[in-house]
Amino acid sequence: MTTTVARVSGLTKRYGDFTAVDGVDFTLEENRIYGLLGRNGAGKTTIMQLLTGQLFPNGGEIEVFGRTPAEHADVLRRLCFIAESQRYPEDFAPRHVFTAAPWFFENWDQEFADRLIADFRLPLKRPIKKLSRGQLSAVGVIVGLASRAPLTFFDEPYLGLDAVARHIFYDRLLEDFAAHPRTIVLSTHLIDEVANLLEHIILIDQGRILLDRDAEEVRGSATTIAGARAAVEQFVADRPVIGREGLGGLASVTIDGRLDHAERVRAAELGLELAPVSLQQLIVHLTGADLAASIEQEAAA
Amino acid sequence: MTAVTTTAATAEREASMSSRVRPGEIWRIVRLLAVNPTIFFGVPWLILGGAWAVTMIVALIIQGAGGAAVDASDIQEGFRYSWAVLSPQWYLVAVGVQAVAFTFSFALGFGSTRRDYWLGLSAMFVFVAAEMAVAIATLVQIEKATGGWWIGAGMFDTLWYGQSGWTFDFFTTFSLQLFVLFVGAGVTTVYMRWRVRGMMTLFFSFVALVLALIAGFTFTNTWPAVLSWFASIGLLGVFTLTLVAAVVAAVAGFLVIRKATPR
Amino acid sequence: MDDSRPIFIQIAEQLENDIIDGTLPEGSQIPSINEFAAFLRVNPATALKGVGRLVDDGFVEKRRGIGMFVTVGARDRLIQRRRAEFSAQYLRPLLVEADKLGIDVDDLAGMLAALRSERTAS
Repeated sequence: MTTTVARVSGLTKRYGDFTAVDGVDFTLEENRIYGLLGRNGAGKTTIMQLLTGQLFPNGGEIEVFGRTPAEHADVLRRLCFIAESQRYPEDFAPRHVFTAAPWFFENWDQEFADRLIADFRLPLKRPIKKLSRGQLSAVGVIVGLASRAPLTFFDEPYLGLDAVARHIFYDRLLEDFAAHPRTIVLSTHLIDEVANLLEHIILIDQGRILLDRDAEEVRGSATTIAGARAAVEQFVADRPVIGREGLGGLASVTIDGRLDHAERVRAAELGLELAPVSLQQLIVHLTGADLAASIEQEAAA
Repeated sequence: MTAVTTTAATAEREASMSSRVRPGEIWRIVRLLAVNPTIFFGVPWLILGGAWAVTMIVALIIQGAGGAAVDASDIQEGFRYSWAVLSPQWYLVAVGVQAVAFTFSFALGFGSTRRDYWLGLSAMFVFVAAEMAVAIATLVQIEKATGGWWIGAGMFDTLWYGQSGWTFDFFTTFSLQLFVLFVGAGVTTVYMRWRVRGMMTLFFSFVALVLALIAGFTFTNTWPAVLSWFASIGLLGVFTLTLVAAVVAAVAGFLVIRKATPR
Repeated sequence: MDDSRPIFIQIAEQLENDIIDGTLPEGSQIPSINEFAAFLRVNPATALKGVGRLVDDGFVEKRRGIGMFVTVGARDRLIQRRRAEFSAQYLRPLLVEADKLGIDVDDLAGMLAALRSERTAS
């Protein structure tokens, strides 16, 4: 049986006329890795700030470890959230951050932190203001991993990190997650690299949830069918189309839904090409403007 | 039925929570603020030390220019209106601002409550104010005992200092220091909660209040009464009012920061 | 890992292939879930689901406190199952394409025989 660590319902956050989070419902279960995905400005950071009590909602309910997070010390000490745009005290260097961290995170593992500092080659004495974007991200990643908080949020954790550093992050995250299971929420708009790390996906667009499903269910849940326009259109006739592109007599249509064996055979018999849709492509289709745009193009053509 | 029991249980926990004192969670904020000691201790002393060095050089120059004819006590009298002793105050306003603008959002990220943050910050302010007050009141006495560091330099025994004893100097410095820190921090909580709109409202309200007071005293011809009232309460009264203002800023800051959000 | 199918199925297939070609002999220990997850850079829950399929089908057994082992007879049963799937998985698409190109079954048999002898020669 799984335990729910966080539950939100009807969660809403407005900034003046702008609704950043619009009546969102979801739950987070214990010991899972979640992907909070969506385009920039979709509301990912706002949701994490609400869950960690940094922001106050305009409507709806938030329950983290059984109660409202804001101003409740016994909830907050089980959370870790270093925002992508985190501000640090004036004149702080990374060493100050790591000195203070054990006072705030009861599961803090100093040895693990030291190892990560070496892995990321983080200069401990350089003022935070003078760190590169990647080094700044490394500070957040190290705090997030070594704090071992029961509910940890990584907000765009690898901005500015190079490929080597990103893979260090993935490897250390999986290793440590296996040894010390906990709930992790990873927010990102760069999806392909982390897709395999995620157990569950929550896709946000314009403050609303578009998708809330297990990653394995999402993988391969969409297919692109390409070929002669007439044949493609016939094949997709009563299926949910999420993307459409065309060039002359050729068309390439993405549908939401898996094809069974018989359908694959039928597609082959019609001379159609079937291509898998990666999680990233699927999300581009679901959150992009390409659908509306391509329909207009078609109408114009 | 689950909903009802949950609510009751929550209310009960709520009651037990608010009454629970968590010294550890307040103390860690003090430690966080002091983890880089240059901010609260290093820079103020550097400023004070710099001002002292300048004062000493000025005293040596005057002595050199006047030759043996100038008496050390006369030079010291000339320093009576030097503001050098107050030089760290401006920096400490900035410290109060930054403690809320930057360290507050960092502490929230590390899982502190707003309540514990403000209590920890207040403890730190009281400590810093007391530390500065002890040091300055003591330095006033040393300066007097050494006749202005043996060359008639007047850095600490200036303005109202050195007139009414150590305790008085301690109290005035402590009040002023606390006022400066809490006003800086308190005003910044307004920004953290209501952003620019809050700052504008606060600023214009303050200007309106000052203008209203001036107009009020002018039209009722009560200026002499006001001035004589200030004269009657004396320096001790004025600095007691400063301390009251510091406490008001501290309490107001607490109320405002409870709903403030980090940038 | 390709994107078209769930990763746990791909993990299960990889393990099956390793058992069929003898990389993982019967009775040998297979890597732990966390080793799988770290090696493939996938979520441990996904690795568990993949290995779980082989456990459910009786190709792999858990020994409490020690680890997971390939069962005796796993290889033969896997080969039988793969053979049953062979026609649908490989022959049917082959026939579809052959029909499109006008290749009849005799031609196909001839082509296959030629390919087989080429392969054994090399």
